[in-house]
Amino acid sequence: MADLKSSTPNETLDVLGRVCPYPLVLTKKKLEKMNSGEILKVITDAPASAEDSIPRFCEKQGYPIEVVKLEDKGYWEIYIQKS
Amino acid sequence: MAIKKLAFIVDKLPYKAETSRLAFTHAIASQTVEIYLEDGDNVEPVIALVGDGVLNAVKDQKALDIYGVTSLEMHMKNALLLDLRVLVCKEDMDRLGLSEDNIVMDAEEIGGELTTQIVPFEEIMKEMETADHLLYF
Repeated sequence: MADLKSSTPNETLDVLGRVCPYPLVLTKKKLEKMNSGEILKVITDAPASAEDSIPRFCEKQGYPIEVVKLEDKGYWEIYIQKS
Repeated sequence: MAIKKLAFIVDKLPYKAETSRLAFTHAIASQTVEIYLEDGDNVEPVIALVGDGVLNAVKDQKALDIYGVTSLEMHMKNALLLDLRVLVCKEDMDRLGLSEDNIVMDAEEIGGELTTQIVPFEEIMKEMETADHLLYF
C-alpha cells in the first residue's frame, strides 16, 4: 500500500470543532464527489471519529486509510484514498 | 441487503423540552449507522415538520440569548448540510402565518446544498406511508 500521508492530497476537509457524527458524514459526502484514486485529507479533533467511525467506514468501503495522531496539536490527520 | 426508510415526524415546539432537538440529532446520527450494518444495508432518513413543529424552522432564533442553548435553526441547517431531506407542512405554515421568508430554507453559509421543501400535508402522508419506521417527536 502506498504511503498516503506522504502524498499530496487532492482535497482537504477541515472539521476541527465538529463532533461525531459530523466528521464522518462530511467525509462521506466529500468522498462521494471525488474520483477513484484521489486522496482526501481530513483534519479532526473528534476522537471517536478519528479512531473509530471514519476508519470503520473506510474499511467497509475498502478505502485505504492512514490515521496520524498529532499529539502536540491535539488533532488527527486522516488520509483516505478513494478506490 | 435493504434500505430502510426512517421518517422523523416532529410536531412539538422547539424549546423548553428536548423533543424536537432529539429528532434532528437522531436523524443526523442515523446517517452513520451503515458502518454497523451488513454490506448493502443502509437507512434513508427524512424529517417532516408538522403542526406546531413547523415553528422549529423559524429563522433568526435567539436560543443562545434566551435559553442558553444552541438553536433548532442551527440543527436544521446542519441537517441540510448533511443532505438530509427536511419537509415543512405548507398548510401548517399558512395556519401560523409563516411564509418561505420566515423559515430556514437553506444552509448555504455553511456549505449546504440541499434546500428545505415546503410541501402539502398529503406529501408528508405519502412519506409516512412509505416509511419502514415512523418516529414521532
